[in-house]
Amino acid sequence: MSEADSRDVHDVVHVAAVQFLNAHPLTRYLPGPETTSGPRFEVHPALPAECAEGLANGRFDVALVPVAAYLDNPQWEVVPEVGIACRGPVDTVLLLSNVPVEQIERVHLDAASRTSVLLLRTLLADRGLHPEFVGAPHGTGRGLVRGNDAALVIGDAAFGLRDAFPVVMDLGAEWFSRTGLPMVFAFWAARPGVLTDAHVRALHEARDRGIKRAESLARAYRESRLAAGEPALAESDYANYLRQRIRYRLDGFDRAGLVEFLARVRPDDGAHPAHVNFIAREHEGVAEAAVQLRATPMDADALLAKAADGGRLTLAEGMFLYETADLFALGAAADARRQALHPDGIVTYIIDRNVNYTNVCTARCRFCNFYTPPKGPNPYVLTREQLAAKFSETVALGGVQILLQGGLNPDLGIEWYEDFFRWAKRDFPTLQMHALSPTEIIHIAHLEGMTIHDTLVRLHAAGLDSLPGGGAEMLHDEIRNRISPFKNTTDEWLEVMRQAHRIGMLSTATMVFGFQETAEHTLVHLDRLRRVQDEALANPAGGKFTAFIAWPFQADGTNLKLRDDTSPWRYLRTQALARLYLDNIDNLQVSWPTLGPEIGEVALRFGANDFGSVMIEENVVSKAGAHFMLDAARIEHHVQQAGFTPARRRQNYTRLQSRA
Amino acid sequence: MKPDSRQLGRFAEIATKVRAGVPLELDEGAFLYRYPDLLALGQLANEVREDRHGDRTYFNINFHINPTNVCVADCKFCSFARLEEGMPAAYTMSLDEIRQKLLDREGQPVTEIHIVSGLHGELPFDYYLDTLRVLKEVRPDIHLKAYTAVEIQYFADKYGMSYERVLTELRDAGLDSMPGGGAEIFAERVRRKICRDKATADQWLDIHRTAHGLGLRTNCTMLFGTIETLEERVDHMLRLRALQEETGGFQTFIPLAFHPDGNSLGKLPAPTGVDSLRTYAVGRLMCSNIDHIKAYWIMIGLATAQVAQSFGVDDLDGTVQEEKIYHMAGAETPQAMTRGDLVRLIREAGRVAVERDTLYNVRWIDDGAPLPGIRVDASVPYSSHEGRVRLAVTP
Repeated sequence: MSEADSRDVHDVVHVAAVQFLNAHPLTRYLPGPETTSGPRFEVHPALPAECAEGLANGRFDVALVPVAAYLDNPQWEVVPEVGIACRGPVDTVLLLSNVPVEQIERVHLDAASRTSVLLLRTLLADRGLHPEFVGAPHGTGRGLVRGNDAALVIGDAAFGLRDAFPVVMDLGAEWFSRTGLPMVFAFWAARPGVLTDAHVRALHEARDRGIKRAESLARAYRESRLAAGEPALAESDYANYLRQRIRYRLDGFDRAGLVEFLARVRPDDGAHPAHVNFIAREHEGVAEAAVQLRATPMDADALLAKAADGGRLTLAEGMFLYETADLFALGAAADARRQALHPDGIVTYIIDRNVNYTNVCTARCRFCNFYTPPKGPNPYVLTREQLAAKFSETVALGGVQILLQGGLNPDLGIEWYEDFFRWAKRDFPTLQMHALSPTEIIHIAHLEGMTIHDTLVRLHAAGLDSLPGGGAEMLHDEIRNRISPFKNTTDEWLEVMRQAHRIGMLSTATMVFGFQETAEHTLVHLDRLRRVQDEALANPAGGKFTAFIAWPFQADGTNLKLRDDTSPWRYLRTQALARLYLDNIDNLQVSWPTLGPEIGEVALRFGANDFGSVMIEENVVSKAGAHFMLDAARIEHHVQQAGFTPARRRQNYTRLQSRA
Repeated sequence: MKPDSRQLGRFAEIATKVRAGVPLELDEGAFLYRYPDLLALGQLANEVREDRHGDRTYFNINFHINPTNVCVADCKFCSFARLEEGMPAAYTMSLDEIRQKLLDREGQPVTEIHIVSGLHGELPFDYYLDTLRVLKEVRPDIHLKAYTAVEIQYFADKYGMSYERVLTELRDAGLDSMPGGGAEIFAERVRRKICRDKATADQWLDIHRTAHGLGLRTNCTMLFGTIETLEERVDHMLRLRALQEETGGFQTFIPLAFHPDGNSLGKLPAPTGVDSLRTYAVGRLMCSNIDHIKAYWIMIGLATAQVAQSFGVDDLDGTVQEEKIYHMAGAETPQAMTRGDLVRLIREAGRVAVERDTLYNVRWIDDGAPLPGIRVDASVPYSSHEGRVRLAVTP
């Protein structure tokens, strides 16, 4: 049995962290060794380089490491959504000089971490500068600045030096102006297998408490300096530093900066995107499921009978069925479940229009053929006139919904969206706005510096009716890190849905499979959706997932080259299993645009009760090869072929009266 | 929606008959066609399929030659039809061109050539004999599966020979077996409307009977989805079964889904997934004495073909490298797929891919190893009669 296996959640975790002020919010409120329940941490003070070294050689279990150390230790697990970062000036990573940067011949490195050295090197190299770098003892850097010699000073030693030299380069500001991205300096890294989900939660909670108590941390820090006879800034300077300069909650934008930095400073010089292995909550329950799978004999027929009857499958049972159940048996059970949920034999569909309002996007997902980066070729944002024309056509065709999605366009703030929704609701009151996937909501929130909740409340008030479930891909970070490292994590995606449900909004849930995922990835995806839906249904606000839609990844013409498992066979199995596993989501939609209406028809016998939409326009998928278009008459024909009665529906899955 | 108790009872009776090997009657086939539980029907057909073939799904590597598209027949479902020499889209290959088709594939693992022509009004019988001869000259071991019963009937009629004489001469020139095309639907009512110029049902069956008598194996087909009733489909299957009872010469039954685009039946709805799967399943259950049921993925799409492997199908028409007739009628599937892709499609469905020759001798069995990369790239989609496929084989 390995060391990791024998660990217990209560074992004291040995943590290394720097003593700089900026680490205090992350370390000061960790539950200590004396704590009686839950995870316990013992914090050992160390310099940045020692943190990385001690973690690599096993002296520590967890350390607040400079991000560059990760390049040599890709086995480390990184704690998500927490770290030390900045978006612009950081104040405490400074290049100090008496001469213009171009004239610097030598840089003294004041106990600097490898991260700051690599950052400085890449920033200077961008300007075509390659001065000599020499080491210097901690605390001596400032005194070594003379003539053409400069110094890189980091941490607390840099406080107050901004104005003390004629030439100062703030590396956070310089990075931001060069790349437009945040800089992540440090994150929590752990030896593999050490941290449980409880530990991750404890690290997040310690961070939240630390941020809340920035003022008292600032005061304590100032007093300790004064007590040691050292000079100190005003308490408010320290508090502002903790509150405004440093960012401790990291989101997708910070991750984009992190990945960009690692890719640039890596020996192969940015040829490939870097991957960071985050610990994620998807591992919750997986170990138990694996044990259960090995230890408990399971009977597929009995499990399918239970699920067809509305019984809840466990994660282990779902994995077992995914791997072993016969296609017909899965289909028959899913069909029986569908029949129980929708006994009238009606299959619904909607007339809507898919509008991609902008193709400008910062996300750079490798499987997407549609978007163009800011300043890329042929950017567009649809004008009101263009939108009005599309909406009018939709109404004329009997449409009741607009599915509005677009890229992560940095030029569109929340007011653009609010104006748009108010306008759309005023001029097209019969159209429901099924708009903005979680990825877009997160993008708007961080662009505005708002919480997800506030962003959703404002958009909802302006006329946003429901959220489409796009961007879920596989809700498992192992897969997400591989296919779209810049995009939101599973936890963030789910959090948007959770927040939307809490304010009474409806949303849909999706899955794109075919990224070499295993039964575990697939079932974890379904399991996490089911949990979020449980939470939604327990809340009287009335928000929830109305429907689930799965489709295979469309490989033609995209940049991602995988030996994909995207066959219709897999699709039918996945959909049938989803019908059985998602016992709390009412509707299952077939995805005929990707597989063709023939399989869509057959899929109605594998648990689905909705034929999707007429989809007057669909740019994203069609760029990658799917090209089926159906009118309402054809949809009804296919629905009838499968033995069902077609009916049109609204966005909330209520049925429209029979057609005129 | 769910079968009622009467239906459930009848289905159970039929299932019992199937398991006991008792041939099904016409009304039973029609009942199965209309049985509401698609999956139960599929499962029953799958039982028969797995009894015979286990997890095997067969494919073979062949290519098609259509020596001419000039045709005197005016079949409503054909986008190829009623072309006269000299019309813009018409072509007739010279023997050199035919030879070149095979020479172009030197070194490729092709085991069979599938030859289907139009009913050309001007060519001598020798043209058809020489077509076979030049191909055999290039590669004596290649299997020539050539000329449908409709062509044989036309030859017999035009050149004043008996079926037996036509077939004997062709056999002596190199014919190894006959494809199953031209059967369409045997019911006279339908035949009069959609293919009045073609060989009648009895002629079609008679020609296959004669071929079987000469030791030639043949395939048989059914075109479904035009104007026929479900009873007429089942009747078609039963006529095939009766001849098979007599001769045992059919290898494979191939239901063909009708494609409405680009022909004069364009108003009819396209074939649908459920209808195709039902037809395979009913075909498997009715034609109990025919060994194989084949899905032709060019027409129904790869997606439906993959799923069809669970509805009675044990053979996928494989890496077809050149195919004109259906693509003129707007089938939206790729013209050719790689061997690796086909094997993967079969593996994904939980089956074991088996490469066969025309007579179902096993040439290769999938051992699960990483797949070799023979890539066959097709060029522009068929949008006009001029459309040609360009092939590139890369290692």
